Order: sequence, then structure tokens, then C-alpha cells
Amino acid sequence: MANTVLELKNVNKTFGKRKVISNLSLEVKEGEIFGFLGPNGSGKTTTIKMILRLIDMDSGEIKVAGFDTKKQFEKAMEYIGAIVENPDLYKYMTGRENLKLHARIRNVDSERKEKVLDLVGLKDRANEKVGKYSLGMKQRLGLALTLLHKPKILILDEPTNGLDPAGIKLLRDILKQIAHKEGVAVFVSSHILSEMQLMCDKVAVLDNGNVVKTEEIKVSEQEKTETLDIRVKETEKAIKIIKDKFKIEPKLEENNIVITIETEKVPILIKELATADTQIMAVIPREHSLEDIFFDATEGGKNNE
Amino acid sequence: MSKIFRLFIDENIKTWKKTSTKILLIVIILALFGTLALTKFMQKINDNNESISSNYDWKEGLQEDINYYKEQITIGGLDETTRKEFEQLISTYELFLQYDVEPWNNTFWKAEIITQIANLQVNKTENDEANTEETIQNLTEILKNDDFAKYMEMQKQNVTKDYERGTITKQEYDDQMTILDLKAKYEIGKSSDEEYWRRTLLSSIEAMQKSIRTGIDQETNKVLTAESKQKYEDTIKMDIYRLEHNMAPTQNTENSRTVFELLAENFVMAVIAIAAIVIAGGEISTEVSNGTIKFWALTPNKRWKILLAKLLSVLFYILVITIIMALLSILCSNLFFTEPANEYIYVENGTVKTIANAPYTIEKYLVKAIPVVIFALFALMLSTITRNTAVSVSFSVATYMGNGMVMAILNTFIKKDWIRYIPFNNLNIVDKIFVNSPNPISITSSVSTFATSTSLEFSLAVLGVCAILMLVTMFDSFNHRDII
Repeated sequence: MANTVLELKNVNKTFGKRKVISNLSLEVKEGEIFGFLGPNGSGKTTTIKMILRLIDMDSGEIKVAGFDTKKQFEKAMEYIGAIVENPDLYKYMTGRENLKLHARIRNVDSERKEKVLDLVGLKDRANEKVGKYSLGMKQRLGLALTLLHKPKILILDEPTNGLDPAGIKLLRDILKQIAHKEGVAVFVSSHILSEMQLMCDKVAVLDNGNVVKTEEIKVSEQEKTETLDIRVKETEKAIKIIKDKFKIEPKLEENNIVITIETEKVPILIKELATADTQIMAVIPREHSLEDIFFDATEGGKNNE
Repeated sequence: MSKIFRLFIDENIKTWKKTSTKILLIVIILALFGTLALTKFMQKINDNNESISSNYDWKEGLQEDINYYKEQITIGGLDETTRKEFEQLISTYELFLQYDVEPWNNTFWKAEIITQIANLQVNKTENDEANTEETIQNLTEILKNDDFAKYMEMQKQNVTKDYERGTITKQEYDDQMTILDLKAKYEIGKSSDEEYWRRTLLSSIEAMQKSIRTGIDQETNKVLTAESKQKYEDTIKMDIYRLEHNMAPTQNTENSRTVFELLAENFVMAVIAIAAIVIAGGEISTEVSNGTIKFWALTPNKRWKILLAKLLSVLFYILVITIIMALLSILCSNLFFTEPANEYIYVENGTVKTIANAPYTIEKYLVKAIPVVIFALFALMLSTITRNTAVSVSFSVATYMGNGMVMAILNTFIKKDWIRYIPFNNLNIVDKIFVNSPNPISITSSVSTFATSTSLEFSLAVLGVCAILMLVTMFDSFNHRDII
């Protein structure tokens, strides 16, 4: 079993009278991309800031690579690379100069600097002023800074915010490479579910300052199920076929038949419906399994502020 | 330690790569060159004024006076004494004209002789006539031969005679002989167009000698304290040293090099102070608002190390800029002014010592940087507490600019002892270290009040306590507040 890199135990935090985090506990393991989900205001950023000790926690314990972040702050920080909210860079300096500042503090040689620049794909534009960078480039430079010292855990707060689809894909690829090839744990917070689904190995859903659900995102094809919206003209007929042949109780939403079925059975289902001449108009797969988890956990998002 | 050093280097790189830092540096350098241009301009105006005043023909005026008196005498109707007086004046004025001596310049030796002759002629009495006549003869002889040395010799003889006769004490005799020796040795009063400071210095030496001799301060008419006596004795020594080495006193505003150096050090240090405040006042607050504080906070360094590195980089900035500006100022005054360099003269254990111009200038700039450091600390503290650049910079600049005036008002009204403990009353360290370089430009030094007349050690202690309080406040705030 992989080692635990980040561990939170019974963490509490109150801002004034409002309890922001209550008894939060979670674990992140080596080589794992851990998604930290939750609606706005659920305490994601607060949790991350407490891990990094930008904010002091009221009670509880946070350990990074076995070091208590409160008692052994500097040791713990040696193993963390983090971007909180935005990558914080000096706009009047070039990308390489920003990197150099960090490299000096972290005592990293220039070979590593170039390697990291290469990894995030910024080598060609490292000598431009950061002020001229696009948001995606800034994110990548920020990532390069956090990777300089080969951290054991990468903590990213809403890294996909404001990125275009190409930027998101690039970020995802980089993160996957770091996590799965170099064994770095990645702790990502976000409220963009589709993103998390594509990126994460495991998600925790945070609501009202507590983890309400932790879910492994299944990757094996056999276990995968699909939720389908089926629109047919002969609705009655179709429901009967589904009930009889697939032993599934379909739901009816508006005029759509909604069923959840193993992915490998989808072709058979369509074939059956077609041969029975139910006049299929559309079969639309729902890719929102994470959304279901999310809304289940947060009671349909009613708690959003 | 090496961690803090690395942070410190980073902070310096960060500061120096900023455009505003470069602009501030340019402004500081411009301040120096502005002062240079201003001094040169004033020098030019002064030269013009001098040429205008020299256009006045004193001979013509004198001739007019003579004509007037002569006219009055020919008209008649004057009583005996007035007529005698007028005749006397005529003969004196004619002597002035004859030897081409400007009469108002009474420290010039020829003018002195003529006045003396005139006095003798008025005061000559029947029984002493032969003696007086002889003296007049001698004086006239000296005047004709243009023999300064002989005149000095004669004066010394007179003093000796007075002493032998018992009209003056030994002390008075010694003092007068010292003055005459100085006059003879450095030919003070010999040339009519020599620099005026030598004569002024000599008369101030005379005044101080008198104060010491009589035990009554000639300036204030009070009994001379032991402290003042010591000060006068030292000053006499320094003044003699000045005459010996032909060094004009620093107060001398005729010397445009001195004017430049004084203006430059005051103006440049003021601009440096504002630059330091701007940099220190934005150090934490700007980074918090830009989010770049996290750039540092997310590195394996405790908060106090980060703040310490920032603090050190501000201090380093002040130090480097101060030294650069001191060197530039030395360079400018050597390049653009022909006058000899000012040295700092002081007395230590009874002997006169000097500090050469370059080290003196640098030392003075560095001492002047101490108040700048206090204000930079103040700005940094405000920046850490308020996290608002506008507030911390504007408030610090206002305090820097306004404290002199506010304290001057407070000091005149409040005569309590505690007012001495206010840090603003203790900022003027430079005048307490370089006691003998009066600074005509700074207001605080010219008004030496009860509140500001504290010792150097006292001032340093007050400022030190003040600095420690500010440091404790800023580190405490930075360590414990959340970075949001």
C-alpha cells in the first residue's frame, strides 16, 4: 500500500461565529490525484490555506510526509509544492527570473530549473516578462515553481479556473504524468466536476466544512456503468422491453426513458430496441456520474451559498 | 542563516528589478544634480551682485564729504569745536585718499593706521605733544613704506609697554600678543581684498579670549560655565588651526562649495528618506494585495525569516544608496568647485584633529541615514499592520516632513521633562556627533531648545527603544496574522 503523504485529523476552524471547517479528516496517498470537491464557500480554500499554514487552524492536526505542519513547519514545507488561488508571480520579471528566485530559496541547481521548464512546456518563452503571459502560461509557470524541489505532494487550488479547454488538457496531462510516473500525490480542489472526473483517482466531497463522501473513480471498463437518456416514439413498448430483457426499472423523465446500465450492454440494448421497432429518436449517454455523487452528497446543491 | 541570506538576496533582486526602484534612484541622483545647478546659479547671481556693488566709487563719496566740510568752514559761523572737528575729518579723509585706502574697511591695517593717526591728532595734549608727534611720524612712515611687518612690531611694542606700565594684566598681555602674533604670521588685514573670514575669525577669537579672561560670557552676559569655557578653549584652538591651514569655517556661505555640500547632503538625504519610505511602506502591503506574499510564504521559511529578509533588504537599500550618493556628492564638489575641500576639525584631548573631506562626507551621510532607517522602520511597521500601501506611505511621508514643524511648536509650549523622550526630538544625531559643523540649513539645529539639547547617548537610546518597539510590533503582526 502506498504511503500517506497528507493527513488531516479532526481539523476545526471558525471565522467569527461561523464554523467553516468542522472535524475534517482525510488522507492523501502517494501517486494519487485527489480531487477535493465542494460548492463555493464550502471551505475548500480555507482547508488548503490551513494545510499551508497561511491560516491558523483552531484545533486538529495536519501532517505532511509525517511532519506536523505546526510544529515542524519548515520540514513539512520542504515536501509541499502549492498554488493557492492564483499563481503569485512577479509580473515585471521574466519567467526564468521568477523561477530563479524560487530556485535560490529551495537551493535547486539550474539543471532542474531547465527540466521543469521543459516539463511545463515553457522553455521557449521563459525569457518573456510574466506580465505578458496568458493565464494558462502563468498557471504552468506556477506549476514549474512548485515542482522545482521535487515535492511529495502538490496542492493546487482551483487550477483549471479561467483556463481554456486546451490549457486544461495540458494541465491534466502534466498532473497525470507527475502523479503516475513520479509518484507525487496531487491534491486538487475544484468545483468543476467534469474536470475532476477526467483527472482524479479519488474524490472527496466537502460540504459545510466536512467531508460528506469519499469516492474512488472507477477506471476498469467492466465495472463501468452508463446512464442513458433514451427517446423513442413507442415509449410503452420500449419500457416493456427494458423491464423484461434487462431487468431494470427505468425512470421516466419528461418523455425520456432514463436507465443506468453496464457499459458493455449498451449495444445490445440499442439492438433490441431497434429490432422491436420502437422508433429510436436518440440515445444520449449521461457522463455525469460524479455530478450525481456531488448532488447526492450536497443535497442537490441546496446548501450553496 | 544561509536560508535568510538566500531570502535576502532574492529580496534585493526583487526590489532592484522593479521599475519604481530605478525611478527612485534616478530621482535621488537628480536631486543631487539639481542642487549642483542651483548652487552654480546662486554663485553666478552673487558674482553679478558683487560687480554691481564694486561699481560704487568710494573716492568720489569721500571727496564730496571733504568738499562739504570745507564749504562749511569757509561759510563760517561754526563754533570752535565743530570747526576743529571738521578740519580733523578733512585731514583724515585726505589721508585715506592719499594712500588709496577705503575708510569703512576698518580691519584693514592701513585704515587702522589712518584712524589711529586721526585719533592721536585729536587727543594730543600739550605735555605729551612730542611723544605723540613722534608716533604719528612713525605711523606715517610705515604707511608710506607699506611695511606691514613693522606695523605689527610697533603694536607689539605698545602692548609690551602697556604691560610694563601695568595698565594691562599678564593675561591680557598674553592674549593680545597671541592675536598680534597670529596677525603677523598669517598677514591678516594686510591686503584689502583678502577673504573676510580670517578677520572675522580673529575677532571671534578675541571675544572668546575675553570671555575666558573675565569669566563672563561675552555673548550672553552670563557667568561662563566650565562647559562653555572648555568649548571656547577648544574653539580657539580650532580657529587657530583654521588660520594655519587656510581653511575657511564651514558656516562661510561665501564658499559655494560649502553651500553645495550642505544643500546636497540635506536635500539628497530627504529624497533618500522618501524613497526608503516608499519602498518600505509597500514591502508587505503591496505583496499582500498582489498575492505575491504567498510566493515567499509557501517556501520552507518561517514567517519571521521572510520579514527579516525584507527588513534587511530595505536597510541594505538605504545603506547602498547613501554611500553611492555620498561618493557622487564628493565627486561633484571636487569636479565643479575650485575651493579647497572642507575638512572636519575637532579637538580631542587638547589637540586639534581633522577628518579629510571624503571620509567626513561619507560618515556624515551615514549618520544622517540613521533617522532615515527609523522612518523606514515606521513605514514597514505600518505596511505590516495596515496592509495598505497608500496609508503606510502617505502617513510615513507626512510624519517625516511634518515632525520638525510640529515638534518646534510643541517644544515652545511644553516645558516638561518628558518631551525630551519623544523620538522626533532625538532625530538630529548628526549635529550631536559632528558638533563643530554647524548646519545653517536644518531648522532643528539652529533652534537649540530645552527639548533638543540632549546628549548623543540619550538620543541614540531613545531611537533604539523606538526601533525595538516597532520591530516587535511588526514581527508579531506578521507572524500571527493570516494571509488571505
